[in-house]
Amino acid sequence: MNDALTAEVLRNALVVAAEEAGIVVVRSAYSTFIVEGSDASAAILDAGGRLIAHSMATTLMNSMALKVALPELVKDIPLATMRPGAVYVLNDAYRGGVHTNDLLVYRPVFTMGTPAYFAATMIHVSDLGGLSAGGMAPLATDVYLEGLQLPPVRLATADGLEPAVEAILRANSRTPDKVMGDVRALIAGTAVAATRIDALVREYGETGLKAGIDAYLDYTETRTRAALATLPPGRHQASYPIDDDGMNPDKPHHIRVSITLDTGQGGPAGAGRVVVDFAGTDPQVPAAINASASQSLAAAVFAVRCFLDPTIPMNDGCLRAIDVRLPPGSLLDARSPYPCGGRYVPIYAAIEAVFQALSDAVPERAIAASGILQPFSIASVAAPYWIHLAYDFGGVGARPGLDGPDATGVHFGVGRNSVPQVEPVEGRCPLVVESIETIPDSGGPGRHRGGLGSRTVYRFLADCHVTTRGDRLRLAPPGRDGGLPGRLGGFFKRRLDGSIERLASKVNNVRFAAGEAFIVETTGGGGIGPPQERDPALIEADLEAGRVTSRGAAEDYGLPAPHAQIKSPGSKLTE
Amino acid sequence: MGYAIGVDVGGTFTDVVLRTPTGTLTAAKCLSTHDDPIAGIASGVTRVLAGVDPAQVSRVVHATTLATNAVLERKGARVAFVTTLGFRSVIPLGRYARVEEDRYDLRFTPPPPPVAAADCFEVVERVSARGTVLTPLDPDSVRRVAARITARGITSAAVCLLHSYACPEHERQVAAILRESIPNVVISSEIWPEIREYERATTTIMSAYVGPLMASYLSRLSARLAELGVRAPIHVMESSGGVISAELAARRAVSTIESGPAAGVLAAAGTGAGDVISFDMGGTTAKVCVVRDGRPEITREFHVGGKGSFGGRRAGTGVPIKTPAIDLAEIGAGGGSIAWLDAAGALRVGPRSAGSSPGPACYALGGREPTVTDANLVLGYLSSATIPLSPSLAARALDRLAGPLGVTPAEAAHAVHEIVSASMASAVHVVTVQRGIDPRGFTLVAFGGAGPMHAARVAERFGISRVLVPAHSGVASAAGLLTGALSTERVISRLDAADPDALFDELARTAAADLGLPLTTPGLELTRSADVRFHGQSHDLTVPWSPVREELASRFSTKYTQVYGITQQSTIEVVAYRLRLTLPPPSLTLPSPSAGAARRGTAEVGATRTARTGVTPAAKEARTGVTPTAKETSTTTRAAYFGGAYVEVPVHTRDTLERLHGPAVIEDPESTIVVPPSWTATLDEARAVHLIRESAP
Repeated sequence: MNDALTAEVLRNALVVAAEEAGIVVVRSAYSTFIVEGSDASAAILDAGGRLIAHSMATTLMNSMALKVALPELVKDIPLATMRPGAVYVLNDAYRGGVHTNDLLVYRPVFTMGTPAYFAATMIHVSDLGGLSAGGMAPLATDVYLEGLQLPPVRLATADGLEPAVEAILRANSRTPDKVMGDVRALIAGTAVAATRIDALVREYGETGLKAGIDAYLDYTETRTRAALATLPPGRHQASYPIDDDGMNPDKPHHIRVSITLDTGQGGPAGAGRVVVDFAGTDPQVPAAINASASQSLAAAVFAVRCFLDPTIPMNDGCLRAIDVRLPPGSLLDARSPYPCGGRYVPIYAAIEAVFQALSDAVPERAIAASGILQPFSIASVAAPYWIHLAYDFGGVGARPGLDGPDATGVHFGVGRNSVPQVEPVEGRCPLVVESIETIPDSGGPGRHRGGLGSRTVYRFLADCHVTTRGDRLRLAPPGRDGGLPGRLGGFFKRRLDGSIERLASKVNNVRFAAGEAFIVETTGGGGIGPPQERDPALIEADLEAGRVTSRGAAEDYGLPAPHAQIKSPGSKLTE
Repeated sequence: MGYAIGVDVGGTFTDVVLRTPTGTLTAAKCLSTHDDPIAGIASGVTRVLAGVDPAQVSRVVHATTLATNAVLERKGARVAFVTTLGFRSVIPLGRYARVEEDRYDLRFTPPPPPVAAADCFEVVERVSARGTVLTPLDPDSVRRVAARITARGITSAAVCLLHSYACPEHERQVAAILRESIPNVVISSEIWPEIREYERATTTIMSAYVGPLMASYLSRLSARLAELGVRAPIHVMESSGGVISAELAARRAVSTIESGPAAGVLAAAGTGAGDVISFDMGGTTAKVCVVRDGRPEITREFHVGGKGSFGGRRAGTGVPIKTPAIDLAEIGAGGGSIAWLDAAGALRVGPRSAGSSPGPACYALGGREPTVTDANLVLGYLSSATIPLSPSLAARALDRLAGPLGVTPAEAAHAVHEIVSASMASAVHVVTVQRGIDPRGFTLVAFGGAGPMHAARVAERFGISRVLVPAHSGVASAAGLLTGALSTERVISRLDAADPDALFDELARTAAADLGLPLTTPGLELTRSADVRFHGQSHDLTVPWSPVREELASRFSTKYTQVYGITQQSTIEVVAYRLRLTLPPPSLTLPSPSAGAARRGTAEVGATRTARTGVTPAAKEARTGVTPTAKETSTTTRAAYFGGAYVEVPVHTRDTLERLHGPAVIEDPESTIVVPPSWTATLDEARAVHLIRESAP
């Protein structure tokens, strides 16, 4: 069979190998963060650090970390010293990792006695120390406050776990048994994927597999460049703000980007390329709003890919066509000991900046800015620890001809809409969820409306600590082309007397008393086009579905008709 | 025992099988009548009953795609959803995964929810996780909701209140009030009282959605069969492979969503080959399932209307259904799948299908795009049967791929064949390797129009050395129905119940009521199981129940290792209790094989060994209207593509087959068995064809 034919067959096999590993990790791990969300990944790489395939539910952030960190692992532990059965781990954010709670685990796969491939897995483990249980430290001023740092070390040999490493992990975790359960799941995941790679080596032969993978990556590069060549050449700039760094609530920070599209004229046909240069981005700060390089790289690649054919595979071939430049020591390429645990804040700003620049370049595929995910944790005030770690999503920005989806994750296709399952959470934690609802009128008005934010109310039955890591709660996601911004969300405390206090977007271990309630409101997406141009039939449908109130229809869209007030469920707690 | 009839309604054909008291089979294959499946069933039943007194039929077992089609085509009843105050947005918000290309699609729009936001309502009440009432039910709030539902003209309602698995009282009260003005009311604590409100709600909603259709359909079917003189009770196959009464099927319609595929799996299980992989490949989809010790694997959650992905129904992309179903992988590829070149020139197959109109290019019905069937024709695996196939049109279609790829049409066709075999293999992979099951010791049981053509190649990819093509492979699903036992399962979510026996007793009582049987019925089997997890984890596994904690823990640990390939040690907790009630059919013997099920072409030809068939001449004539062809005494040969070149290979039918070495082709009525090099084919007493790999690695 020729290369193009092999690519399709091999692609399935490689992705299935990664997928299987991902399933094993998610199902057998303990960390609450990955149970409902998708903070788990598996990837297949080669010894040269090329990303070959990753699991389907994976976010690109995670597999990019696995790619960037592999050469660092090999630097410290040379390939020649690796033995079959050995497994390695690191979490160093300055060497490819994400943040201290995310463990990256690698298992070499040998051909002819040398490691040729790596099966890799990573998850946000249940706890590895730091300022608050579960791994969120929104007010960390350096990496040491975020938890245990692990340079590349051998985690296990064919005989089992390295006792010294296990002892270190246990000693640094609030939940030592769970963290070791997570580690065993990570190791098991790599074993599953490694077995599949071994089988492919047998089926295709060592050189056959390598040739097949090369062809697959080349094919992906060809498709990526062909897609890039269809974008109009030119240079587009944009910037996007971060609300604050959690220390100074009034000072925004900015991500700036300049994108140069090149159709490759003069070169071979379809040899398009793109340069994504973040020069001008604000410098790193001693607060948890910096990102490590791997995460920023993932953000840029993800955002560019959203303007290309979505069916292009994700692997190193795609990365070759996208040139990402990160200013060292900036918010997007932090250096030790600047904290990286809040990396999603700057990289979501980076994604939004790329979206806005490319929306200018390709207006028919534009998107208005979105509300983003708002992570929070609720934990017992002392041992024994119970923890509820979750995130609610903001509304997505409108697209030409399409309203934005409500309260879901557009960015990174974070995976599943993670509206919490009330019953298991109430069974596990001393709290009552009073309501989960979309917030009427929260979508940015426009010819096409931004997606709605959501409101979830937790009433506590015991004292507890609440930790939050929010953004776009002060500076609303703007609309495009005359569309209006989405309504701002926020984190709130409802006191026993019913009064409501707005919390800062980033708070650490705020104490709530039994009977008090924690309210999470997410921000709506921006609208697109002037609201006056919205089709009245769409406004009627929104009224019918309760997405806008009659007041909103009158105020935001100038709808004169006297509509009966649509009763919105639940109380208007915070309006 | 009397006669039994199995009725399997598929997308293209309605298969009806009659089993005589002595166990012989008579089959009829009629075109399905999509608008009203009953017409097709009636003509099939009339045919198989030729010469038989319909009053002697004591059992009718039916597999129906009514529920599935209603979901896929969104043709069910409009449903109102009623839930606890504060949670009416939960269904419109939904839970879904964005997989593969969706992740990079800025224009991604979530699939429409099963109930529109404006049709979701709230009642005032609240129960805690322990089942205690925090806020008593306000009956006036229910009456207000009932008035709004009827004002909107909605006649079917699904009720799912928080923690109703722990305290069903409020749901029952809500139902009582709603039923005063709403004809069809379904409540979650009756349908499936398991923790996790979203999945419980969607399961309840889907039952309310398809229930009214199912009830009316089954009562019309019953009336039509009565007109034909068949007054035997109608049983419907559940997704889990058991059969239930028509009344229960209407009440819990959601449990019949996988009715059709389940029947096929039972057929594979019924071959008696022990550990088998059921491989059913038709025109547009293929289904694969593992059967160990004659028992198919059961899943407790699946998704309908979602995306298929790498051989699995991708969790999170459709509507979750919690009722048990045979755990099969379904893949959107079959004989009609279209092969094409993508933007970078790579060859892809599917997911688009030529369907029955225009059909593959070789059907000469106007189709021009190359399909898997065209490729198989070019390769010489297929030949004209009742539907004449045009090799030149197939070759011309394949040229559309071969030209740009710079290969010969045969090479392109072979690549298409290989890619489809690889897709099929990925489905096998999902149900075996991905679940920690080594497929090598299994027998691949192939049926469906395209299954036997790809089976050996799929088997090779896994080192499987045995393939079995059953005698009645064309009507395998209908025959499988007759082996279904009257059976149902009940569940209740409880965290480490204080008195499990009392819970199981209650489950047994409700299950018996579901089946309409007294618990004292002779032969009734009760199977207890429990959903167990490690304390602190979220994912649980179902294991056989033991009241001895250590034994339960050991069963869980064994299963855990088997499923995840990892051994964890921790304390366990039980999260749910399950009870299955089964009444095996009067005779557990498999339908004895007969050539009555063997047919040629799309309209079947009668048996060639009439002595063994039990098919009366009158029945034969009524069934087919085609004069049986004379038994072939000599085999022919034709050019077929093996090992990179065309070679002349012998062409057999089951009648001329004794033992042969591949490469060869064995022609069956609706399908062809490809015997590749290094495989040997034999025929057993049951007229099943066995393919054995000579040099299994």
